[in-house]
Amino acid sequence: MDGKIKGMVYLTRKIEFSASHLYHNPALSDEENRRIFGKCNNPHGHGHNYTLEVTVEGEPDPVTGMVLDLKELKTILEREIMERMDHRFLNYEVQELKGQIPTCENIARVVWKLLEPKITQGRLHKVRLYESADIFAECYQNGANRQ
Amino acid sequence: MLPKRGEPPVNDGLKVVLGRRYRFAASHRLHTEKLSEEENFRVFGKCNNPYGHGHNYVVEIHVSGPVDLATGMIVNLAELDQFVEREVLEPLDHKSLNEDVQAFRTTVPTTENLCKEIYRRLKEFPLAKVERVRIEETCNNAFEYAGSRNCGP
Repeated sequence: MDGKIKGMVYLTRKIEFSASHLYHNPALSDEENRRIFGKCNNPHGHGHNYTLEVTVEGEPDPVTGMVLDLKELKTILEREIMERMDHRFLNYEVQELKGQIPTCENIARVVWKLLEPKITQGRLHKVRLYESADIFAECYQNGANRQ
Repeated sequence: MLPKRGEPPVNDGLKVVLGRRYRFAASHRLHTEKLSEEENFRVFGKCNNPYGHGHNYVVEIHVSGPVDLATGMIVNLAELDQFVEREVLEPLDHKSLNEDVQAFRTTVPTTENLCKEIYRRLKEFPLAKVERVRIEETCNNAFEYAGSRNCGP
């Protein structure tokens, strides 16, 4: 194997963090909040073990054979995501989620925006955030190529 | 400040997809009248056993659409669950795919075809766009279908 075989390689790293949240929109009535958000509207919040999968695309460096150094990706995820979100109350402690309902969809989008400028070797391809084993949200660039 | 419902969504060039996994159990037999008995057995092997066999299927539904600023949601999961329950789980769970599902009276109920059938049943979902159906037939086999498009990231 050498550099003659071209094409993108997709690398995925997974992290887990635990956080609490609640869904409540003060612009809506209490009754609407309860109807739309159900038990997620509990005023004291509740928590999840989140699993985040981050996929980076790129051509492996001809010398190192890496798309990016996993150690570096690990450091970025630790600094940008774990420190911000792990064991936090997402509504109150994560600046980037202020003014948003901290749903899986919105957290995935925030994660994308935090990571995308920090990944300078290769390119962020996709983030997938699991709130539980059966619910997840993905975020990627509109019109992204098939993996 | 959080808005009331009906505000225009954010357009930042990002696509957000919601995925939800469901489970059902059903039996099937892989057999086609287009082939002889011997050919059926050669092609389908033990999946051609005349009495059929079953699986615990896991169905993953991917939907996309604008995220409502007032709710943070593409679609309320309760409404997606209700639609999937009615269109997919209730008609398929604890059924014989060959005998109880009209589409498989004439088509082999492989999990490839099951993906397409479930996609067909869900594509009229009025509240979000069904992007993809992924089915795990066992923990070692998975199939995906995204309509006429490629599957995407």
